[in-house]
Amino acid sequence: MSGFEGLRVLVVEDEPVVAMYLEDLLDALGCETIGPASRLADGLELAEQGMFDVAILDINLGGERSTPIAEALRARGLPFAFASGYGVPPEGFGAEVPMIEKPYREAQVAGALGRLLA
Amino acid sequence: MIETPAEPLPVGEDEFRLIADSAPVAVWVTRLDRKRSFVNRAYVEFLGVSYEEALEFDWRRIIHPEDAARVLEASIAGEASLGTFALEGRYRNAAGAWRWLHSTSQPRRDAQGRHIGFIGVAHDVTEAKTAELALREREAQLSAFINQTTAGFGQVDLEGRFTLVNDRFCEIAGWSREELLGMTMQQITHPDDLARNQPLFARAVRDGTPYTHEKRYIRKDGRIVWVNNSVAVIRRPSGEPFGVLAVALDVTQRREDEESLRKNEETLRLVTETAGMATWEADLETLEGEWSPNRFDLLGMPRRPDSRGTFEEWIARVHPEDRQMARAAAERCFTRGIPYTIEYRICRADDNSERWLQSHGNRIDYGDSRPSRFVGVSFDITGRKRAEEELRESEIRFRTIFEQANDFLITTTLDNRVTSVNPAVIAALGYAEDELIGHSIREFMDEDQFAISMDAFNRKLVHGGSTRLTVKLRAKDGRELIWEVNSRLSLDEQGRPVALHAIGRDMTEAKRAEAHLRLLIDELNHRVKNTLAIVQGIAQQSFKDDVPPRQARAAFEGRLAALSEAHNLLTREHWGLVSMHQIIADALRPHGDAGRFTLDGPDLMILPKTAISLALAVHELATNAVKHGALSRPEGRIAVHWQRIRAGSPARLALRWEESGGPPVQEPTRRGFGTRMIERGLAAELGGSVKIEFRPEGLVCTVDAPLPEGAE
Repeated sequence: MSGFEGLRVLVVEDEPVVAMYLEDLLDALGCETIGPASRLADGLELAEQGMFDVAILDINLGGERSTPIAEALRARGLPFAFASGYGVPPEGFGAEVPMIEKPYREAQVAGALGRLLA
Repeated sequence: MIETPAEPLPVGEDEFRLIADSAPVAVWVTRLDRKRSFVNRAYVEFLGVSYEEALEFDWRRIIHPEDAARVLEASIAGEASLGTFALEGRYRNAAGAWRWLHSTSQPRRDAQGRHIGFIGVAHDVTEAKTAELALREREAQLSAFINQTTAGFGQVDLEGRFTLVNDRFCEIAGWSREELLGMTMQQITHPDDLARNQPLFARAVRDGTPYTHEKRYIRKDGRIVWVNNSVAVIRRPSGEPFGVLAVALDVTQRREDEESLRKNEETLRLVTETAGMATWEADLETLEGEWSPNRFDLLGMPRRPDSRGTFEEWIARVHPEDRQMARAAAERCFTRGIPYTIEYRICRADDNSERWLQSHGNRIDYGDSRPSRFVGVSFDITGRKRAEEELRESEIRFRTIFEQANDFLITTTLDNRVTSVNPAVIAALGYAEDELIGHSIREFMDEDQFAISMDAFNRKLVHGGSTRLTVKLRAKDGRELIWEVNSRLSLDEQGRPVALHAIGRDMTEAKRAEAHLRLLIDELNHRVKNTLAIVQGIAQQSFKDDVPPRQARAAFEGRLAALSEAHNLLTREHWGLVSMHQIIADALRPHGDAGRFTLDGPDLMILPKTAISLALAVHELATNAVKHGALSRPEGRIAVHWQRIRAGSPARLALRWEESGGPPVQEPTRRGFGTRMIERGLAAELGGSVKIEFRPEGLVCTVDAPLPEGAE
């Protein structure tokens, strides 16, 4: 038992193979994946619908940034984590947002989820 | 002084009074109880009181304060001795004047010889005392003068025995006064000087002729002292000589100086020659004279026994190019007495080598009947000339570097004012030289950059050394220039900073390239991380628990190969847009001969990211075809058609993958990574829908998506 059973996680990740991997990883933790959204517009739409508990946002979406999604989530008070190869949060966000470094590791994803629920 | 008998007075009392009253001195008689029983008229007159008052008068009231203690003490002691005693002191008389009184008291005895008191007499000795004091004062002054003077006074009798010497004479001669008074001047005079001294002394005694001479005394400690003695005979009032007085001055130091000067003269020639200075003299008539031996050496000529040379011999050695100048300078000196200093080259007589000489010439005019002479000094300055030449070359080299350097060379004062710039600075900043010189560096940079410069400057002031900093400057046209500047304070001989030297290099381009490189590295990092994430995803999908390891590995390798092939194309295209046709063809190539594939469609250009997803999807389709579909039979074919559909807006992409000639297709019982990658992954990437149909005659995959970005 991971403690995240039934948790609905919005995944915004533009790389299909990577998104699939993250989806499998969340599935293994007992979570339900919402998305994955690979584009900013899709991600924003899902974020507006708010049918999830937490979100994992890839910072770079095929040249666009997921910052507007993060701002929308922050405005709605929904917890989220960033995922990036850079390890640096976008401007306007700090250490209060958990940062998951790519490639994804299960332990790190679980740790981030734990922080988001704490 | 009155002779007072020890016996009681031989005269009657009245007679004594009479005698005493007529005496010009004060007389008094005391009894055993020390009360006065008699005073004479002079005593009463001195005090200016009545006779009765005088008998009772306390004389201590009128004694001079300076003498009181001494007199009183002597008085008490005298009375107690019961013998004769004398007192001397100043007393104030009736007129208020201080008088010196000398008193003598003698004991009085009765017929049985018993002490019955004193009889005293006091003389007024004021005049004598004053004269004595004045004399003593003059004597003291004179004595001080004699003894303190620099001159020694030595007086001898006619045989030469010392009779009087002052302190200074003792000091000069090196004997004590007591010793000298038992010696003769002949004894302390140096034997070598005595022979010359004796006749002078004898003549002075005989004829009274004074003389002054210098001679040596031998001191008690054996050292020699030179004295200059002025000697005169001393005569009695009668004119008869009784002694000889010498006023002696110590001239040892002067003699020593003279001696060393004489020695110096002897060594002067040696010194000048050692210093490389050659001298020559010339008779202005013949232009011939004595040359120092090294002058011959200097000119490369053999030395001559008579050490003589001529003007023409010298001028013949002067380099032809300098000869006229040298001759003119020398002749001006010969004829008009104008001294010269010239530098010129010579060709040595022996090996014809060229040397530089410096020569000074001077005409000496005696101002009397003696003929003028010429004196010259020459020395070899070849080394200095070469050093100068090297310095000049070095200066030219540095000047060239300064002028031509690509680096910026700047000097400033300690208050940041530019004192020099090289052309590179002028070219870079676009200001004219006079717009830079004298201006503060502050005018050529923003305030924050000036602060950085000042910070570095202050660091150098405190810690010395040099600083290296990157600073932004403003060119005249407003462009920002990034310079890397190394600077150092230049110091004077006392180590105090006097100026700033800076060397700068334009880093604008380098900084731009650095920033670009930074971007590239960040991008590369992003791509690597992204690729690793993709590889991670592929690995996770390939190595599922239910897949046999060998099969899983083969699948993983194939997928990695497809990914790698796509990267190759992207790299060739510098991660710009790539051809969709090329991506599909590359992805198919490992799976069969090109003849088995029909690719048909416009050459759309797609983004790198889309290309990777497309390549992976095509790879999955082809892999499935090899295993289960058209490519599992030799006659099987695959056709890929795509087209741009302009109906509506935005334009759309329609792609169709159609297999034929393969075994009858059956719907798979479970869907693996391939199907998922195609139906979901590619669909997500394209933002459209991707459908797989397992038709019995062959698998068909259709894509309906917005025209990918970049494809227009």
